[in-house]
Amino acid sequence: MRIKNDLNIRRQARNLGISVWQAPSFLFMIMAFIIIVLMTVVFYISRNQASPEYLIVAEVAVVVIILSIGNVIITNMEKMAQINKMKSEFVSIVSHQLKTPLTGIGWDIELMLANYKKGLSKKQLEIMEKINESNAIMTRMVNDLLDVARIDQGDLSLKKEKINMKELIDKVVEKNKELAEYSNIDIVVDKIRSDLEIISDEKKMEVVLDNLVSNAIKYNKIDGKVFVTVKEDDKKAKFCVKDEGIGIPENERGRLFEKFYRGQGASNKGINGTGLGLYIAKNIVEQSEGSMSYKSIEGKGSEFCFQVPTV
Amino acid sequence: MNKKILIVEDDITLRQTLAEFLDAENFSVITASDGEKAIYAAKNNLPDIILLDIILPKKNGYEVIEEIKKDEKIKDIPIILLTNLGSLSDIEKALNLGATTYLVKGDYKLSEIVEKIKETLVIA
Repeated sequence: MRIKNDLNIRRQARNLGISVWQAPSFLFMIMAFIIIVLMTVVFYISRNQASPEYLIVAEVAVVVIILSIGNVIITNMEKMAQINKMKSEFVSIVSHQLKTPLTGIGWDIELMLANYKKGLSKKQLEIMEKINESNAIMTRMVNDLLDVARIDQGDLSLKKEKINMKELIDKVVEKNKELAEYSNIDIVVDKIRSDLEIISDEKKMEVVLDNLVSNAIKYNKIDGKVFVTVKEDDKKAKFCVKDEGIGIPENERGRLFEKFYRGQGASNKGINGTGLGLYIAKNIVEQSEGSMSYKSIEGKGSEFCFQVPTV
Repeated sequence: MNKKILIVEDDITLRQTLAEFLDAENFSVITASDGEKAIYAAKNNLPDIILLDIILPKKNGYEVIEEIKKDEKIKDIPIILLTNLGSLSDIEKALNLGATTYLVKGDYKLSEIVEKIKETLVIA
């Protein structure tokens, strides 16, 4: 953790997973402020009564006491940072180790379905598809954990490749079709220019879109609609996914993009999720020189958008 | 004529699955399970493209790229990294050494890997 070298309070707080008010730089400022105030107080109280020696001793005592207390607090912060870092590294190592066998399972199922489908009975095929689905869910969870660990370590790597957004949106919508059909939800996609391209990491951008679309389905009402829209504006494109679902209560809005945060409505309704999706999506979009925003009316639905530069 | 591909992967399960899938896609497949064998196979078989893991026994992926780039006969063979690493520093290092592109293993289906191989072969 780059606490001592990095004086940016917000970044420190993010790296340590704490609030801005607990960041070491902020605490240093508070300490300096307290020292100045106390020194002034001591000076005013003792200027008429005490000898200059007494004044100096009192001022030194103020500085020593405050610095000692501050040192204890900041040392604890450093320890916390260390533990946080170890936690991230642990998650990162475990996720890596899990990825190899998960990849093996995924590839072998794909090989089986591509080359040996004819030899399988209908029931066997059905079971293979189920294994495939479960494997995909597990892979996604491991990927999410790995992404979060990388974001925390400031090491989320994004490729810089041209992405055809129409193709990608079509792919994500197709992928979520089954989930939508399950709740009788219709996904309506805007007309998108077939050569609309952005520069980012295709797999990561797929994660962003998949997150927004699957959220819009999961948090929608039965028989609701999901609208995917695109607005282009001078070298930028804004992609939005709107639902007709439960919406986000006022008091939860500030925490939406926090890691592991899940809204009360989601937990109550038994909607599956880890609370990592929006946190990861926001980080990917921001690293693609874009920004993320949302609008929501409780009981009527939400709209999540991200804006990125186009090619 | 089938394109010749060298797969360098130490995990036997992944290696066999990849080899079988690519074979069915009409590639002529050669495999290697460590860095030294990879360099030997590249020099002796002159593949059209190399699919290379980074963490390998004996010589790692970076060393394999360096050796290949030193050899006039094989230095222009496109190399696709297929790795589970995916941190910025790992990838930048490999690309700086001369790898053509990289794919993070768990993120790509076999069919998508084949697509990327074909794309790279067309460009190369």
